[in-house]
Amino acid sequence: MEILSLLDVTFFLLTALGALVGIVFGAIPGMTATMAVAVCLPLTYALGLNHGLALLLGLYVGGISGGMVPAVLLNIPGTPSSITTTFDGYPMARRGEGERALKISVVASLVGGLISAAVLFLFAPLLADFSIKFSYIEKFLIILLALTVIASLSNNMLVGIFSGVIGIWLSLIGDYSISDGGNGKTRLMFDFMEPYLFEGFSLLPVLIGIFGISTILLEAEKGVKSDLTDERVKIGKGAGATFSLALFKGRLTNLVRSSFIGTFVGMLPGVGGSAASVLAYTQEKNLARDSSQMGKGAPQGLIASESANNALTGGALIPLLSLGIPGDSTTAVLIGAFTLQGIQVGPLFIPENAETWYVMMAALIFANFVMFFLMFYAIKYIAKVVMVPKHILFPIIVMMCVVGAYAINYGIMFDVWTLLIFGVLGYLIQKVGLEVAPLIIGFILGSQAEVYFVKSLESAGTLTIFFTKSPIAVVLWLLILASVVFSITMSLKNRAKHRQELLG
Amino acid sequence: MPVSKKTIVGLGSAVLMTSLTYGIGAAQAQEGQLRGNVRVVIGSTSTGGDTYQNSSIVVDQLSEKLDINMKVDAVGASSAFRTLDRDARGNTLMIFHDQAYLGHLYGVEGYADIFEKYTIGPTVAINPGNAYLVPMDSPYETLDDIIAAVGEGETVRVAIQPGGVSEIGFSALKNAIAIEHPGQEDNLVAVNTGSQSDKNQLLFDDQVDLINGSVQANEQYTRLPEEDQKAMRFVWLTARQETIQQAPEEGLGQTTREQLLQHVEPNVHVTMGDDETFTFDKEFFFLYNKDMDPGIVEQIDEALAEIFEEGEIQEAQKSAFFIPNFRPSGEASEYLEEKRSRYAEIIENIQ
Repeated sequence: MEILSLLDVTFFLLTALGALVGIVFGAIPGMTATMAVAVCLPLTYALGLNHGLALLLGLYVGGISGGMVPAVLLNIPGTPSSITTTFDGYPMARRGEGERALKISVVASLVGGLISAAVLFLFAPLLADFSIKFSYIEKFLIILLALTVIASLSNNMLVGIFSGVIGIWLSLIGDYSISDGGNGKTRLMFDFMEPYLFEGFSLLPVLIGIFGISTILLEAEKGVKSDLTDERVKIGKGAGATFSLALFKGRLTNLVRSSFIGTFVGMLPGVGGSAASVLAYTQEKNLARDSSQMGKGAPQGLIASESANNALTGGALIPLLSLGIPGDSTTAVLIGAFTLQGIQVGPLFIPENAETWYVMMAALIFANFVMFFLMFYAIKYIAKVVMVPKHILFPIIVMMCVVGAYAINYGIMFDVWTLLIFGVLGYLIQKVGLEVAPLIIGFILGSQAEVYFVKSLESAGTLTIFFTKSPIAVVLWLLILASVVFSITMSLKNRAKHRQELLG
Repeated sequence: MPVSKKTIVGLGSAVLMTSLTYGIGAAQAQEGQLRGNVRVVIGSTSTGGDTYQNSSIVVDQLSEKLDINMKVDAVGASSAFRTLDRDARGNTLMIFHDQAYLGHLYGVEGYADIFEKYTIGPTVAINPGNAYLVPMDSPYETLDDIIAAVGEGETVRVAIQPGGVSEIGFSALKNAIAIEHPGQEDNLVAVNTGSQSDKNQLLFDDQVDLINGSVQANEQYTRLPEEDQKAMRFVWLTARQETIQQAPEEGLGQTTREQLLQHVEPNVHVTMGDDETFTFDKEFFFLYNKDMDPGIVEQIDEALAEIFEEGEIQEAQKSAFFIPNFRPSGEASEYLEEKRSRYAEIIENIQ
């Protein structure tokens, strides 16, 4: 076979190197898979297309997975798509189960990555045709569905929804970008803020600030002395801290469902990566027999989040390779590798470049395995990060956050201020009793929801279109309704249970 | 196969570049010369687009010729302008296309008058691919059909990204309708949207009848079977005929130059009045900070002149479907200013 001659030692070395560098990028807060791919993109000139793609796909898979490390250990999502990993990962790490949490995440990532690769390989052109059935309207409804997680994620529903609305409001600051077909005018700010906030707050500094910096502030408030003796000892010795595949027993549905959700969301251009893990998390929360522990350190939350965000990789490549349209921000950079080599990606890419297509599949699958082995066996050592005394660890984290925030848009100082502003805000929010998770989900999804909502209205001119557009829209409405009804009944049940406990 | 030398060099530079990204700007420009690391920001955030592709070809050659580190950064228009504003040392240069002044003409926020605020550098290439497409099964066979239909009161919806290169063809079309069928021009409706995928999507959804696109991004769609929901047809390429004539004979993908020429003037006629036909070549050029040392302007002009003399760059450009088009700084500035005033008229006419 022709293809085998292309898969030389260099090919595998580059994929492995890519995965390794990607993991490092993903694990450093503020540095993302997108950035890793962007930095290495010009290398594809020297490496040639096949070797170049091997490196870039390795970076992509590694970068997305690496995000779980700080999410679990430090409560800082290394990449936006690992945000839901913090919900259960960090509580587990605090209980001394960091290693176990990471191992669960790695296995889930591998399964997610492989399922999505299989879907990509077998159904890419077919699914691309399906994905173009999703117009602005259906995309808006998908985002809305993801937003319903706010209701089930909150401890107190009213406060949670209020926090979510604040998050959405914050996301609307900035201009309605021309590149989204808007008018380029700014809103929700005074004139003097325009030079800084023209494009709104950048996502990653907000995330790192509100999770990372505020966590550090809260810890700092508690003081360093008390936990020196406390938490350090617990590492690796907590009850049930050992990992075994039995953990996945009874969770296969979750694993497979989340992988498919991730693949599916990745496939829809313009619906970002974070929506994938949020959506998978919502569905697990709604559909699991017992989801009461989610958000407090339940493995099922990690499984949902990590399998979905790794499944993104295969999913996002579907529209890229069968429509020429990148499915997420990383594949948007990846497309440059083809452009630089003068290869068109479009609906005829796969039939006309069969060789490249097989090479990419090989790289994608190999990268997933490399990621798995690198992470699974390194975790023991990585997890020890939390054993570093906090008076040494925290300043290092803060420094890394600052560097990451500064680098994310290639040197904008305001991003560092954003980090600080949201760090303090995150601290205050928790002090006044608002909820961080709903707020941040509102922030991530708000601006997309707005654009798709406005665009739908612009092209249809009537609100009823949201209900009558297509059968897909109707199905999405039913899912939204089910999700909301479910959250309300859950909340009522919990309240009744709580009351009974008080009485009993 | 053993690990090749090229790979090792590649990997080495990967590490180097990673470190460079975080160590920009240590070097200072010496009198009138580019020095240290030079960052070339571009007005597009896409690394899959023509601006990045074209800039990479040029910057690659330039960095080799001048023997300095240069890197293209896809930061987008407003960030690129702001970054350029901050650096008069010559460590930041910008490459962009006609959008740079069209944005200002359309009154888009974040766009200043580039001829006042910046020094215009050399032009380097034309992308002849700016195009308009209809669905394969559209009732409109040609652009003339569309002009006639709108003239008879039919509404035709066009997907564009507002405020620039994507809109200028629409403006010209509207202007032509106003001239040929006065009072009917409002039947040509712009549907403002963003990326190419959004424009394609609107076409698939039957939400628009005509979209702005490009030969590069849409050529494969024009080769799909008619029953495919995604199939499209070119009806108009805005480039001048002589521009397309300079493209390689084999054209792009499996669409030959001959086939492309069917969609440009004089086969397609968009009047500007007085027998004049509207054409638009999307041209790429450098922009510099106004206070940058004129010595650097000269240095880049000379280096590029030599590069174009050698002829290798033309091959690279043509194989990527760009038309080489080098004009040194001074000449480019005059030329572009003249070009701007031509398009300013069209935009004024329809407002």
